[in-house]
Amino acid sequence: MKKSLLIIALATIIPFGFNSCSDNDPPQETQENNNELYEQVLTDLSLKVITETYNQLYTNSLALEQAANAMTVGDEAALENAKNKWQDTRAPWEESEGFLYGPVDTEGIDPAIDSWPVDVNAINNVLNSGNPITQSLLESNNEARGFHTLEYFFWGLDGDKTAADLTAREIEYIKAAASDLRSKTEQLYFGWLPSQGNFAANFINAGESGSVYTSKINALSEIAEGIEIIADEVANGKIEEPLNGNNGGPRPEAEESRFSNNSKLDFANNIRSIEHIYLGDFNGVQGSGLTNIVSIQNAALDTEIKMSITEAIVAIEAIPGTFTQAIFDNRAEVEFAQSKVLALLNKLQSQLLPLISNLN
Amino acid sequence: MKRYYCLLLSVLLFSSCAKDSDSVYEPLPNLQERLMAGGETTVFLTSSNAFSTPAANLSGGKLDFHLDGDFQFETVFVTAPAPVNGGVGPIFNNSSCVSCHPKDGRSAFPTDINSLSGFFLRTSMPGVGNYNAPISVPGFGDQIQNQAIFGFEPEAKFKVDYTPIVETLADGTQVTLQKPNYSLIDTYIPFPQSAQLSPRLASPVFGLGLLEAIPEYYILNNEDINDADGDGISGKANYVYDNVSGEVRLGRFGWKANTASVMEQCAGAYVGDMGVTNPIFPFETGYGQTNGDDGLNDDAEISQALLDEITFYCQTLGVPAPRDLDDDSVIRGSALFEQMECAKCHIPKMISGSFSVAEVANQTFYPYSDMLLHDMGDGLADNRSDFLADGKEWRTKPLWGIGLTKVVNGHTDFLHDGRAKNVTEAILWHGGEAEASKNKFKNLSASEREDLLKFINSL
Repeated sequence: MKKSLLIIALATIIPFGFNSCSDNDPPQETQENNNELYEQVLTDLSLKVITETYNQLYTNSLALEQAANAMTVGDEAALENAKNKWQDTRAPWEESEGFLYGPVDTEGIDPAIDSWPVDVNAINNVLNSGNPITQSLLESNNEARGFHTLEYFFWGLDGDKTAADLTAREIEYIKAAASDLRSKTEQLYFGWLPSQGNFAANFINAGESGSVYTSKINALSEIAEGIEIIADEVANGKIEEPLNGNNGGPRPEAEESRFSNNSKLDFANNIRSIEHIYLGDFNGVQGSGLTNIVSIQNAALDTEIKMSITEAIVAIEAIPGTFTQAIFDNRAEVEFAQSKVLALLNKLQSQLLPLISNLN
Repeated sequence: MKRYYCLLLSVLLFSSCAKDSDSVYEPLPNLQERLMAGGETTVFLTSSNAFSTPAANLSGGKLDFHLDGDFQFETVFVTAPAPVNGGVGPIFNNSSCVSCHPKDGRSAFPTDINSLSGFFLRTSMPGVGNYNAPISVPGFGDQIQNQAIFGFEPEAKFKVDYTPIVETLADGTQVTLQKPNYSLIDTYIPFPQSAQLSPRLASPVFGLGLLEAIPEYYILNNEDINDADGDGISGKANYVYDNVSGEVRLGRFGWKANTASVMEQCAGAYVGDMGVTNPIFPFETGYGQTNGDDGLNDDAEISQALLDEITFYCQTLGVPAPRDLDDDSVIRGSALFEQMECAKCHIPKMISGSFSVAEVANQTFYPYSDMLLHDMGDGLADNRSDFLADGKEWRTKPLWGIGLTKVVNGHTDFLHDGRAKNVTEAILWHGGEAEASKNKFKNLSASEREDLLKFINSL
C-alpha cells in the first residue's frame, strides 16, 4: 500500500540543473570522475540491490507457492510452513518499498501484490460460489489477491487460524492466490532483469538516449526520492494512522499487517530498504550506494544518515510485544520509534535530496 | 492527523543565464519567463514523482489538508459492508483514484482492454437532452462499467480492433497510425444499436486548481465561434449543467470540457468509475438496473468532508517546471510551435483570478491550452455530442508536463484514448481546425521536427 508523498524540500528548490549556467560547471576531469562514480552507483544499485531484491522476492514466492500446494485440511505443520514462507516472501517485498518506481508501478504490480484492505465480502462470495478458483478469477479483483489475502487465510481475522479451521475451498483459494503472487513477482523480477525487460538499463544508461532519465543526476534523484518517500510513509502513514488515526487515539483497523502481527518487521524492513540503497549492500554483496557520493560531498551528513538508519531500525524493533498491542499499551515506545524514523526522514528530505539534485 | 515535515527555505534563488547567441538574429520567445509553469505552485522534479508533489506554495494546515486528500486518492474501495473503505461497485471500472491516475499521471492504454485500467467507454443515445446533455442509454447510463463485484454482472466487456492509417511526411518518413474501432461484447442486456460510444483514458490531475481559477472572460476572449478572423481556427466554449451548483456553467474539465468544476469531476469519478456514491451523486451508477442495486442502505458511501479533501488535493498538486529552456534546439522548437500556429489553440500563457483556494489564485502560468473546443476532424471524431461539444469537437489538451509522461508513467500513449503512441503520432492525428498545422509539421525537415519535439518534450 502506498500512502502520502511529501517531497516538500525538492518542490521549493530549483536545482542548478534547471539553469545550467556554465560558470557552475566543474573542471572537465572532475566531471569525468563524477560521471564514473555516478554510473558505478547507478549500476550497482539497479543490479545488485534492486534487481537482486526482486530476485529474492521471486525465489521466496516460489517456495511459498510450493508450501501452499502442500497444504491440506487439518495439516498444522503444512500451515505453519506456509506462514513461514509467507513471512520469508514478505521480507524482500518490504525491503523493496524504498524503490517503488519502474515496472512495480507502471505495470500495476504493487496493487496486485499488496492491496489493502482485504475485500472479505468478495473472498467469501468466491468461496461460496461454485466457480473453480483460478488465477484468472483473482486477476479481476486486486483486493482479493496478494499478500494480505493470503495473510487473511493463514492467520484469520484474529490471528488464531488453525489448519483444522480451513476448508477445502479455502485451500483451493490459497493455492490460486499463491500462484498468482508468484507470477506477479516473476513479472516484477523479469521487468528489471537485463536479459528480460531490463528496466535497470534506464539507470545504468541514464542521460543517454533510450533511458527515461535525461541525466545521471535525475536518475540519482529518483533513487534518493524513493527512500525519502518510504521513510515518510512509515512515519506518517504506517505508524501514524494506527497510533493516532482515531482523533489522536489508536485505530487498530488501520494497521496493515495486523492479522500476522508482522507490522514491526514490515516497518524495520522498509528502513532496511533505505539502508540497502544508501549503502549499496544487499544480501552480503557489497556495492556502491548513495554513501559513496554523499561521503565525498558532506562526510558529516553521511555519518548522520547511517546513524539515523540504524537508530530507526533499533527503535522499531525495541517496541515491546505486537504492534497491535503497543499502540494501546506502549505508546511511548511507538512514539519514540516514530520520532527516530522522522529524524531519518528529516535528514533525507532537507539534506540528502538537495545534495543529490544539486550535484554536478 | 498530525503531519510532520520539514520545510527548507523556499527562497527561489535563480538567475536567468540566457546566452547571447550570435547565430540567432530573429527575436525568439523568452522561454525563461515560462520556467514557473504553474506560477507559485511550480515544483522542480524530473523523476517519477514529478506530478505527485504538493504545490510549492502550500504550507501549514493547507498542506495537511492536501496530504489528507493524498491519502484518499490512494484509498482502495472494497465490497460493502466493510470496516474500512466499503462501497466499490456493484458495477465499476476501477477501485481507487490512483489506479486510473497512477502517480497522479496518465493511464497507459491497457494491454488487455478488459483488465482493471484507466480506460472506459462513454455512451449515449443520438440527440440531446435537457441543457444539451447527452441522453442516457436505457440500462447503461452514460458510461459503460466493465467490472462488477462478485455475484454481479458488468454492463459489458469492451472490444477493440484497429485500422492502420499510413501518414507520409515530406522527407519520405512513414508513420503508421492505428485507428481504434470500439464495440461492446457480452452485454448484460441487449445494447441499443443506435447508441453511441466514445473512448476515454485517464489524464494527469496536477494543475487543475489553476485551470479552474482562470477568469471566465479570459477564456471567452479567445472564442471565435464563426471564425470571424478567417484563420481557420474557431474556438468555442462548452456550457454544461453543473451538478454541484445546479446551474449551467462554463465547462472546463474532461476531454470535451463537459464538467464545470474539479469537485464535480471528482464526485462523478467516484460514482461513475468506482461505484462509490457521494453527496453530489447519491445514487449508485446502475440504480434501477438489474445489476446495479447493492441492496444496502449505505448511501452516500463517502462524506462531503472526504469529497472536499480530494477536491482540494486535485486543485493543489504542483505543476512541474519545464526543462532545458536554454537549449538552442528547444528555443528553435518553440519558435516553430508559434510559426506553425500550434500556439493558437495550445496558448502558452493563462492567468488566474480571485479564487477560493488562495494558492492558485492570481497566478500567471503556462498550461498550453485555450480551454476551448475545436473541431479536430473526422479521424479523431467520436460522433457523440456532449453538451455544446459536437461529435468532432474536443477541448484543447494542456501540454504542461507532457515530456515527463515517460518517466512518470512509463509510456507515451496520448490523446483521449491513447491511440497516439508518441508525440509525433499525436500531432499526425490532428485534423479539422488543426489540419493546416498538421500539414506544416509533415513538411518540416527531420532536424526541424526534432527541434519541435524537443520543445514539446521540454514541457
